[in-house]
Amino acid sequence: MTIDGNKIIHAVMEGSRIREAKGIIPLFGVYLSIFSTQYYNRLSFDFEIKMGKSRTAESESLLIQAAQECGYATFHGIRNSWEWEKIVQPMIENKEDQIEGFIAVAVAFGWGDLEVKKLVPDEKLVIRVGDSYEASGYLDRYDPAGSGKCYMLRGVAGAFMDLIYGEDYPDGCFAFTAEEPFCRAKGDVYCEFIARKSSG
Amino acid sequence: MTALNWQKELSREGHRVVFSGQPFTMHCHHYNMNLQKTLEDTLGEEGVQLLFQSAEESNYNIFRHLIDQYNQIKTTKSKLEMAATLFQYCGMGVIHFQTTGPSGGRIVSPSSHHVTGWLAKYGRRHTPGCHFTRGWIAGIMATTYNRPLGEYIVEETSCKMMREPECVFNVTTHKT
Repeated sequence: MTIDGNKIIHAVMEGSRIREAKGIIPLFGVYLSIFSTQYYNRLSFDFEIKMGKSRTAESESLLIQAAQECGYATFHGIRNSWEWEKIVQPMIENKEDQIEGFIAVAVAFGWGDLEVKKLVPDEKLVIRVGDSYEASGYLDRYDPAGSGKCYMLRGVAGAFMDLIYGEDYPDGCFAFTAEEPFCRAKGDVYCEFIARKSSG
Repeated sequence: MTALNWQKELSREGHRVVFSGQPFTMHCHHYNMNLQKTLEDTLGEEGVQLLFQSAEESNYNIFRHLIDQYNQIKTTKSKLEMAATLFQYCGMGVIHFQTTGPSGGRIVSPSSHHVTGWLAKYGRRHTPGCHFTRGWIAGIMATTYNRPLGEYIVEETSCKMMREPECVFNVTTHKT
């Protein structure tokens, strides 16, 4: 069965309107917040600037790691939630379908128009995004970049593979590593993420 | 009672989440807390300042836009009520503007996304940790009292991340 992304978007939008008395949104097994993309983009890109050019690789790595760890914990929580059980699980026929379910949740969260271009089980995942909020935010604020700037999506792409093909939670994080060979922030038409098994 | 129409304001334009026409996104406590920890651990006070300023600037823009949209919201009281509603609707928690004026005030948050998320993920802190909320408040104060960004200093004098009963924020201006 194909994953019905619209059904998931509808569930997220409806769920995001329900908050408990403490003003917290518990949805898909996590506490959700809804805020401006400007906030997240400034945090990431000004973090890089403050780290300085000599520490570019370190700042990129820290932002990607933060996203991958979080993607791993977040989507583990999501796939163990009652909402997933009720809405997504009935559409899943094999474990590769889980990736499509994750992608639909990411789209519902407003991270971009993610699309799986290729999935080789236990080996490689290619995700293409025509409108990532990270690339858009970068171009709004800065001149075109020399390298990919979608650190959150890059980490998340690795986390999706970690959850499906890595060791059981919580031991499978960073089994996969993603690259971003194409990014709109550096002038490409779309952003593309390729997750492969981590070396070493 | 605030006039903020959440059902109308939070919508989608295809794959995008928009709030009152501005690009928004949804993230969970894992990402928000990990970003905060990464910035604090790596940059120290400079990272804390970045969290504050990013929240201040983005919330200033959001709230300024909202105030322009809802021109029936004119009084300070109704603006602050709208701000508290916005905080809650965004899943950020509950906030009370107890005593505020152009020169500052006292603001209390009995519960918040950042407190719940931090305690769930990392446990008790030994220093106040609601940097996002401090910046968020600074943005609201600047908009409400027609002051420029950077006008307000927001200190957290009591923090639930330290297992204190509530988060208390003391607001002053650089002039006071």
